[in-house]
Amino acid sequence: MKPVLILVGADKGGVGKTTVSRILLDYFARKNILTRAFDTENPRGSLKRFYPSSTEIIDLENVAHQMKVLDTLETANVPVTLVDLKAGGLSYALDVFERIGVLDAARSGMFTMGLFHIVGPSIASLDEIGEIAKYLAGVDYIVARNFINETNFFEWDEEITRKYFSNIPTALEVDIPKLNEMAYEQVDVAGVTFKDFIDNRTAEGQPGKFSFVLRGYVKKWCSEIDEEFSKVQLLQDILTGGRAPAPVPPKPMRK
Amino acid sequence: MASSPLIAIVCSDRHRNGKTMLARVLVDFLLLEGRDPYCLDLSHPEGALRAFFPGRTALVDFAQVSGQMKVFDTILAGPGRDYVIDLPAQDLARFCEVTGGLDFRKAAHEAGFRIAVLFVIDAGEDSLKTAAAVEDILLPDIFVPVANRFVGSALPDGVPGPVLTMEKLDPDLHAITSNRRFSFRTFLMGEESGVPLRLRSNLKNVLQSLMAGMREFEPALSLQTLREQDLSQP
Repeated sequence: MKPVLILVGADKGGVGKTTVSRILLDYFARKNILTRAFDTENPRGSLKRFYPSSTEIIDLENVAHQMKVLDTLETANVPVTLVDLKAGGLSYALDVFERIGVLDAARSGMFTMGLFHIVGPSIASLDEIGEIAKYLAGVDYIVARNFINETNFFEWDEEITRKYFSNIPTALEVDIPKLNEMAYEQVDVAGVTFKDFIDNRTAEGQPGKFSFVLRGYVKKWCSEIDEEFSKVQLLQDILTGGRAPAPVPPKPMRK
Repeated sequence: MASSPLIAIVCSDRHRNGKTMLARVLVDFLLLEGRDPYCLDLSHPEGALRAFFPGRTALVDFAQVSGQMKVFDTILAGPGRDYVIDLPAQDLARFCEVTGGLDFRKAAHEAGFRIAVLFVIDAGEDSLKTAAAVEDILLPDIFVPVANRFVGSALPDGVPGPVLTMEKLDPDLHAITSNRRFSFRTFLMGEESGVPLRLRSNLKNVLQSLMAGMREFEPALSLQTLREQDLSQP
């Protein structure tokens, strides 16, 4: 299986990047897929609070940190690497990756690359899609509309939206469903993963005392996410063992 | 009554057909049996059942998640006693949806509870259909159809299993027993002075008929347990 690099980002702040990163890590944990994560909210990453053992905080502007992520994709023995890009870091990250050849490597089949672009209801989010379209060849591009806090996407005029997406025919839209705010808050306060909350387990692995009702709400929400993610080919490929590596070109015969 | 604790859900698809009275009788029956029931009154904000058992009733707004937590978390955090849920008609659909969605039945069984649904079948045929749908969703260990002779019931004769019948209550008794200070339990224990002599036998008949039906819950539940054990045998 080819290693998979998943970027989660947005240029706009407060749209739920870390939440979607958590949702993805949780999804993989529920499906028994090993992951590692990098949190670029340097020096204090909020993703690390929920996944302390598998998350490392990095500064993507630092070359050594770029190497830590990219040069270890194959050697890390973990099929999925997730990078939670800090607010405003999406265009920057894609630009750096284009310049240093990461995107080309993905296009040539060395690894699979996916981008979860978290968008908000404002027209600025649609502009973001237009701005990053030039980087997306060879990348599994998923636009995630985050409804977790009952966001209303009324600002998205259908015609304008179609115009933006016409440049990216392979873009896939997924909706992150709403989670009851009390349940979301309790998971947040407990500092545990959604899976541990459902299983009534504390961050230390001890039996928890979480509400049966709220656990039920989170469980139901996770099943809605599973349903939504079932249409994301990238994720389904990971669950079924991943995509095959690109064929190695035959060596030229010596005369 | 069954020795394992019981969660009794008293419900109907219609208003004003005797649910709260039935819940009251059930609570008093459990108390007379030496048990210690706790009530969850979902008729927020009125609190019809709580008025009669203020010390052992929580009033719940089931439309709120905090109310749902009050019901299910209270029950699961306090196994070992009986719970009576007085469920008003307007919350029936929501209750079924939430209970099914949370898989409460499984959690309740794991905590050692048995679940009983007491459904007051109203006069219309659609009440029967709703009762069947509720049984399918909640999958209780025992489903008890209830016919209220005062309002009429579409329940046909000869239904197998425990059936409760609420015999007609004299209109004067309605006024007397609706007083929040009136207790069926103390009446049955001999404190009859609050009820005119001419009405006492009517009230006794109504209560004794209901309680005789409630006494059949235990054998029915035991039979159900035996059936389940039999089914789980290889």
